[in-house]
This record gives sequence, C-alpha cells and structure tokens, in this order.
Amino acid sequence: MTTHADPTTTEEQVPYAPEHTPRLNWSAHAPEVLKAMLRLDAAARKGLDPKLVELVKVRASQINHCALCVDMHSKDALAAGESVERIIQLSAWEESAHFYTEKELAALALTESVTVLTEGFVPDAVYERAAAHFEEAELAQLIAAITVINAWNRFGVTCRLVPGHYRPGQHA
Amino acid sequence: MSRTNLLDREVGRAMSTLSAAAKQGLGDPALAELVVIRASQLNHCAFCLDMHLTIAREHGVSEKQLGLLSAWEEAGDVYDERERAALALTEAVTLLTGGTSQAFGSGGGFVPDAVYERAARHFDAPRLAHLVALITAINSWNRVMVARRIPPGGYTP
Repeated sequence: MTTHADPTTTEEQVPYAPEHTPRLNWSAHAPEVLKAMLRLDAAARKGLDPKLVELVKVRASQINHCALCVDMHSKDALAAGESVERIIQLSAWEESAHFYTEKELAALALTESVTVLTEGFVPDAVYERAAAHFEEAELAQLIAAITVINAWNRFGVTCRLVPGHYRPGQHA
Repeated sequence: MSRTNLLDREVGRAMSTLSAAAKQGLGDPALAELVVIRASQLNHCAFCLDMHLTIAREHGVSEKQLGLLSAWEEAGDVYDERERAALALTEAVTLLTGGTSQAFGSGGGFVPDAVYERAARHFDAPRLAHLVALITAINSWNRVMVARRIPPGGYTP
C-alpha cells in the first residue's frame, strides 16, 4: 500500500487508492502487432525535433486520457531537457502561448485537431498554420507522429495499462 | 491551399504491417470490415469509407449490414451479439476524447467496463488484443488520410 507523507502535519497518513491491474496484456497476445507499432513509432520520429515530439505526445495523451502515456512522455520530455513549466502548461497551451514558439503552437493546434477527429475534420486554418511553419516532408512526419501517439493511447486506455512505473530510457 | 500527399515510405509500410497483423489475428475478415467502416464513419474519413465499402462487398458483407451500420444499436438482429460487442468496443476506443458523443451513454471518454467486458465475453484474449489493434490501426489510417484530405476513390482492389 502506498502512503504519502505530508511534512506540515503529524496526522495519520491517508493511503492512496490501490493500484489497478491492467485489463489485458495486449502485447503478449499480439507480439507481431507490438513489433509493427515500435517500427511505426521509430519511422514517424525521423526528421522531427525530439523535444517537439514529446510535447505532441504529452498533449495527445492528455486529450485521450491515457495515464500510462502521460506518465511516460512527461518523463521522456523532462529527460530530453524540457522544462517542468512547459509540460505543466500544455493542457492550457492556447492560454499560455508565450511558453512556446510559434512553430510549437502550430504543432499543438494540429495535434488537437488530428486527435479529435470525431468532432469533425482538420480545419484549413489549423492545417495552413502548421504548413507555414513546417516544410512539407516535416509536416508529413508531424502528422505521422500525432497518429502514432494516438495509436499508443488506444492500446493504453483500452487495456487500462498502469502508469507510474516508467523510467526514461528503459525501452531504449 | 492543397494539402500534402506525402507519407514517409517506412511509416506507410509499418502501418500496413500493423493492419495486416491485426486482421490476421482477428481471423474474421467480414467482421473486420464492419469495425473498420464504423470507425471511419466516426472519424469522417471519406477515403477509408470508399476503400472499405469496396473490400467489405468483396468479403460478402450484405448491403443491409453496410447501410445500417451508423445505426447498428437500433438495428435489431441485423448484427449478431458478437458483431454488436465488437462495434460497441470500436466506438469506445475511437471516441477516447469524449465530447458530445452519446454513443455509449457515458458521453465518451475512456473505455467503459461494460463495453470492455461485453467484448471480452465474445473474444478470447488473443482475438481481443487483435481486435483492439485493428480498431487502433484504422484510427491511424483515418488520421493520416483526413489530416492530408486524401480524396475518396483512389483505392482500386
């Protein structure tokens, strides 16, 4: 059982809720699918700034409510040299534009629209904003990277994978 | 402004491998097409709908099953219980962001226990893992096609 210490009081520590177990160990049942996903992930990162990739991955994972992915990519972002402030502000990035470059903001806007397809399409304004900051091949990779984190999010959420145990570099 | 039609060759190959592995592991090509078409409806992917309507007909999926798919929950015995469990899972896994969907009562977001457990009753663990992979794979194709606004009609069997 996990307990959390409160340095300001001597009152009895209140335990956190118990950790859940995953619904399904999908990669054990579909190892060839995991292999394809890892190959896809590596291919989609090519040509993109690693710190930008992590910002995109954290934001998509927030929108899709993937706990494991938020844990992993927040830690990967920090390990890549990202600041705590920029990671914290990601869920409100439109209201904290001065934390990010115009190019990063364009990438975050594209991330949201490509992630929330069920609400309708990718608006011209969002696409054109991204196209103004990314040359064509880089833009195609950005679309691929957004797609791939959406895929990981789906495995993570559906199988209810457990956050909190990731250490940066463990899959390297 | 026209959109790019670029897709990195290795990205495309890996996505094709992912889709093929998922379909192979599910082992039910007609059901796979119902799942893929329903996800493409939810994600508004014109290219994907055009392509998979063609493939579904090749696999013998009936016009009635194709035509009623966006109202499958109200379509009675047009779909059997296994198909309905797979379609419910497809909607939940596709609508992770929540929002305005009423598709499965929770208003979207997450994959509800009832939806997951219903699927787990009809699919053993390996098939369920591949069904999740298939839903994920078509969601991926939907994203790369819609983002680049690839027009329908480009698919030829």
